Amino acid sequence: MAEIPKPKVGFYGFTGCGGDLLTILHCEDELLDIFNAVDIRSFLMASSDVHDDEELDIAFVEGSITTDHQLESLKGIRKRSKVLVAIGSCACFGGPQAARLGYGDWEERFKKVYGEVKHTVARPRESYPLDEYVKVDCCIPGCPIDKHQFFFALTRLAKGMPVELTTFPVCAECKWNENECLLLKGELCLGPVTAGGCNSRCPNHGLPCIGCWGPTKEANVASEISLLKERNFSSEEIINKLRLFGGAAMVRRFADLLGIKTEEPAGKPRQKKARKPVAAGKAKKKTASKSPKAKSGRKR
Amino acid sequence: MKALKLKKEDLYAYLESLKSYGELWGPVKRGERYAYARLVNVREVALQALRTILPPKKFFVPPRFNMFRYSEDRYTEAFEDVKPRVLFGLHPCDIHGLMILDELFLERFPDPYYKKRREATAIIGLSCIPDDKCMARSTNTHAVEGGFDLAFNELGEEYLVWVGSSLGDDLVRLNLDLFNEEIDAQDLQKYLEWRRKRDSRYKLNFDLTGMPDIMELSWDSDLWQELADKCLACGACSMVCPTCNCYNIRDVSDLSLESGVRERHWDSCMNKEYALVAGGHNFREARAERLKLYYTHKLKAFITEYGKPSCVGCGRCIDTCPVNINVAEVIRALKGQEVKV
Repeated sequence: MAEIPKPKVGFYGFTGCGGDLLTILHCEDELLDIFNAVDIRSFLMASSDVHDDEELDIAFVEGSITTDHQLESLKGIRKRSKVLVAIGSCACFGGPQAARLGYGDWEERFKKVYGEVKHTVARPRESYPLDEYVKVDCCIPGCPIDKHQFFFALTRLAKGMPVELTTFPVCAECKWNENECLLLKGELCLGPVTAGGCNSRCPNHGLPCIGCWGPTKEANVASEISLLKERNFSSEEIINKLRLFGGAAMVRRFADLLGIKTEEPAGKPRQKKARKPVAAGKAKKKTASKSPKAKSGRKR
Repeated sequence: MKALKLKKEDLYAYLESLKSYGELWGPVKRGERYAYARLVNVREVALQALRTILPPKKFFVPPRFNMFRYSEDRYTEAFEDVKPRVLFGLHPCDIHGLMILDELFLERFPDPYYKKRREATAIIGLSCIPDDKCMARSTNTHAVEGGFDLAFNELGEEYLVWVGSSLGDDLVRLNLDLFNEEIDAQDLQKYLEWRRKRDSRYKLNFDLTGMPDIMELSWDSDLWQELADKCLACGACSMVCPTCNCYNIRDVSDLSLESGVRERHWDSCMNKEYALVAGGHNFREARAERLKLYYTHKLKAFITEYGKPSCVGCGRCIDTCPVNINVAEVIRALKGQEVKV
C-alpha cells in the first residue's frame, strides 16, 4: 500500500460516565492496531500528552453538553476537525441527563435539585447532544458503544468511506440470536424502536431492552406505546422508559406522543439552527418523520 | 421411496447412532419456545416441538457469517463451520421451506455458501399434528413427498420411516437392526387414519386460489396504510420466515486497513434502507409500500413465478409479530374478512 499519512485523531469527553472512551481504552487486544491505523493527537484518558491546538481529521466526542465552557470547547473541536463523530448515547441524544428535556423550566429544575448555588467553575446549562450546537458527521450510539461498531466506523472514516451502521432495531439481532420475545412475554421491552448494533445484549440475558442506544430512524413509537398500553403498562411508565435514553431524539421527533409541548422551555438560551443531514453515510436521503410536529430526523 | 418401521423406544438409540455421520441437531426447549440446538444428549430433543423460533434456514444461511477474508492481493473463503450434520425433527412445512430455498440458491445461480452447507447436511423429517397457528394445509405444504433423507411419521407406538434418498438409506444402515422392514395392511390403515386426524386439526384454512388476482386488485387498498400504522418495521417477520432469504453484504476492514472480511447477514424488505439506491433514492420509502412488497412477494409474485406461494404455513409470523401482522391476518383482510390487527 502506498504510504498514506495516518489520519490525525482526537478523543474528547464531556458530560457522561466516560464509558465510551473507556470502551476504546479497554480494547487491549486491538490498541496497538488502533495506534498503527491512526495518529492519536489527543486522548486525555489515555495520556496527558495532548495537542489541542492542532487540526484533526477525525474527532471522536463523548458526552453531552452541560456547561458553557463545554460548549466553547466543542465549538473549538468542531473548527479544528474535518469529521466530528459523536460517540455514545450522551453525545448522540443527550443521555439520561436529558431525560427531562422539554419538561418545563430547566433552571427551576436545577434549583430544585441543587438549591441556590454560586457557579464557580462553569456555568451549567440543560443537557443537549452535540448536534444541538454543531454539525455532527456521524453518530455511533451506545451506552456504552460497541467496540466492533467503533472499529467499523474508525476504519471506514480512516479510508474516507461512508459509515453505514446497522439500521435495524434491536429485534432483528434478537431474532438472529433466537431469543424468546420479551414483549410477547408481557415485558416492557423497547427492542422494536431502539437502534440495533448491540447484538441484543440485554435480551440475550432475558432482560428487556431499555432503549440505551436511542431510537431507530424508523421507530414507530406510536405503535410501541399503544402495544405497551395493551399490555397494561401505564403511559407514565412507558414514556419515562422511552425518555431515559431517548433524550433529544425523542423530544424532537415524538414530542406529541410524549405529551410535550414543542415551544422552547423558557429561560434557556438555545441556538436555533436548521438540522441538516450530515455527510457520513451521505448516500442516504433524509425525510421528515411522519409526526406533524417532528423536526427532521438526524443522521445516526 | 422405501418405508420402514422403528419402535418409539428405540428412537434415542437411533439418534445416538446418527452421530457417527456428523453433528446431530434437533429442536430443544428454549424457555417457553423451541430452537434447533446441538443434541449432545439425545434425550434433550423436544419431540413435541411444533415450531422453533428460527426455521432451519439458519443452518444453510446463518444469520451472519463471513464469506471470505480478503487482503490486498487475495481472498480466502471461510467455510470453517461447514461440517457433516444431521438435522432431526423438521416438520413438513420446514422441509417445503428448504425446498424453496433450494430452488432459489441452487438452481439458476448456485450460491456456494448455501450449497456447501446444504450438501453437508442430512435432513430427517418428523410428522406433526397442527396447532391453531398452523396453516400448512392451505399452502399445501402439510405433507412431504421429497426434500428429505429420512422422514419419521409417528404412528402409535412406532414411527413409520420413509427413506427419501440414498443418503437416507445409508443413515438407516448406521443401525439397521433397529428397523423393521415388514409393512402390512394394518400399517396402511393406521397411516390413513393418522392423516385424517392431522388434516382435521387445521383451524386456519384458506382458499389461496387466485391469490395473485386478489393481490393485484388490492394494490391501492387502504389496508396497507392501516397495517403500516401498526407495523414496528422491526423485520422480525422476515427473520423467522423459512423462505425469506434476502441478505446484505458489507466489508469489515481490519484495523490494519489492508485486510478484512466480507460479511453477510440477513436483511429484510421491512428495513427502510433495503430499497435505498445510490443517489439517495428509495423505492419504498413508506412503511406501507414495504409491507405491500413483503406480502406481494409471499402471495403474488412467487406464485406467478414458481406456481406456489412462498408461504409454507408454518405460523412463525403469527407467533412472532408483536402487533399481530401476519400472513393469516393479511389473507383475511384481503378477502374482506374481519381482522384482529
